[in-house]
Amino acid sequence: MIEATGLTKRYGSKVAVDHMTFTVAPGKVTGFLGPNGAGKSTTMRMIVGLDRPTSGSVTVNGRRYAEHSAPLHEVGTLLDAKAVHTGRSAYNHLLAQAATHGIGRKRVQEVIEMTGLDAVARKRVGGFSLGMGQRLGIASALLGDPQTLILDEPVNGLDPEGVLWVRNLVQYLARQGRTVFLSSHLMSEMAVTADHIIVVGRGRLIADAPVAEIVARAAGTTVRVRSPQAGALEELVRGPEITVTSAEPGLIEITGSTAPAIGEAAAGAGIVLHELTPLHGSLEDAYMQLTADSVEYHSSDVGQPAAPATAPSLTTPGAPASATEGAVR
Amino acid sequence: MTTLSPTADPSTSRNRPRAGAPDRLGVTFPRVVASEWIKFRTVRAAAWTLPITALLMVGMAFLQAWGISQIGAEDFGPVSGASVVTSGWFFAQLAVSVLAILTITGEYSTGMVRSTFAATPRRLPTLWAKALVLVVTVAVTSLVAIALAWVAVQPFASDLGLSLDLGESETLRILLGTPLYLSTIAVFAFAIGTLLRHSAGALAVVLGLLLVIEQVLSVLPLRFFEVISPFLPSTAGTRLIMDDATLEMMDAARDTVSLSPWGGYGVLALWTVVLLAAAAVLVRRRDA
Repeated sequence: MIEATGLTKRYGSKVAVDHMTFTVAPGKVTGFLGPNGAGKSTTMRMIVGLDRPTSGSVTVNGRRYAEHSAPLHEVGTLLDAKAVHTGRSAYNHLLAQAATHGIGRKRVQEVIEMTGLDAVARKRVGGFSLGMGQRLGIASALLGDPQTLILDEPVNGLDPEGVLWVRNLVQYLARQGRTVFLSSHLMSEMAVTADHIIVVGRGRLIADAPVAEIVARAAGTTVRVRSPQAGALEELVRGPEITVTSAEPGLIEITGSTAPAIGEAAAGAGIVLHELTPLHGSLEDAYMQLTADSVEYHSSDVGQPAAPATAPSLTTPGAPASATEGAVR
Repeated sequence: MTTLSPTADPSTSRNRPRAGAPDRLGVTFPRVVASEWIKFRTVRAAAWTLPITALLMVGMAFLQAWGISQIGAEDFGPVSGASVVTSGWFFAQLAVSVLAILTITGEYSTGMVRSTFAATPRRLPTLWAKALVLVVTVAVTSLVAIALAWVAVQPFASDLGLSLDLGESETLRILLGTPLYLSTIAVFAFAIGTLLRHSAGALAVVLGLLLVIEQVLSVLPLRFFEVISPFLPSTAGTRLIMDDATLEMMDAARDTVSLSPWGGYGVLALWTVVLLAAAAVLVRRRDA
């Protein structure tokens, strides 16, 4: 259980984390999602006492992290795959970390096997790939067999097999009743890994809800239709609540209606359809909408000015879908 | 790379007691020292600098004895056996300073410090443990080096009339004072490394002080520098390891404060304590 209250971190005049209040509950995987520079890593560092909050507080299992007599048994942390001396072997790194808590060599060997580091454990960490570094960081987090895990971008740099492994591992740990808090900017990964998501942008908490709810808040369902008579169909379905966009001749996307309604209307009018695909709002869409006005580093589309960030905030989920076209799809 | 089966149980089969259970002492100072000792001996810095320190001390003692024997002991005047076997102190202090600085700045430059302070979030035990490991290893290394140096100068011992009378207070002061001086310089350099967190910066400050600043200030014919020079860390501290004849000669040449051997060491110790205290305050306060 992680509880942050009014957590704030200021660097000079720049506010990295702005009055964040949230709770990460045990028994599920909680995703911490946000664009680069949103304050995810800073928040995580404050949880384990590496950064001192400017104001506010955060506790783990009821106490400030530094107040635990055996912090590695309480919280396992992967903050940065590079938080290792490059001149030391993985085995010796883990051994030194373990020694602070009187954890034995047997457990060190266990986490090495668990994370698949056997072959490289005696090699100096300086030569590790990013993926191996991540595995070492996860091994280090698991050393104390902690009740709470905080993993900052754990799948960063992992191969597909490694990504799958992390996903299974964190879900397994959560099912054991542990608290798992992992950050990512990969929305697709979060969608399949997390049960609950906390979205942040520019240091502020934007959303804190179950994954399904976040997705449901995405723009209304869009249906993609391919038809040689696309123009006729467009005339047919047009209405006040319905928006039609066309990406190429014969292909339209209809927002505000449903696939059955469109299919029936087309059949009634004798219009031939080659494709009728409901495009569900994905977590990615929801995320883009939520963070559109809080992205720290905007990239503009080549050849045209950046789309104005007019995505609806969470308080107005019913905003017209047309307004979000820049963000959705 | 091998895979972890997703069903592998990270908690293992043992019946896991929850944190706070009696068998989980958690972080204790001896454990932090054990951890720092593992860290110390598993990077190359220590593996190289300590043998180099010993080699420098043995080599310098041999060269010193050989050099005097070439000049002829009669022309050189009285030779202190203790001074000859500890004559490598100057280069040894540079080696141990480098080692001391790297034990802390190496953590900052690699990011290791975040792992370290995640395991010991109170932080200060780590600082004390690192200093303790340094003091002990430097002291042991220099004691061994002095013993080896005594063996190395034996070919010249009878010619030069070298002797080590451990019952003599001056001899004992120099023989035990050299490990003490080198250990203290190590902690001094470690404190500066902790304050600056940067290898190059800390090396520049410490080596600049030992190699250049103190040397230059001690000979500048300006009253201000003449007055403060005796209180500089190394200038003061090395009085502990000079033989009486050298001390007398130095004091006769200058018209300033003459610190006693232990008084001089006390000044170095004070520098070290103050810098270490400042480092401790900053380590607690700064973001890692």
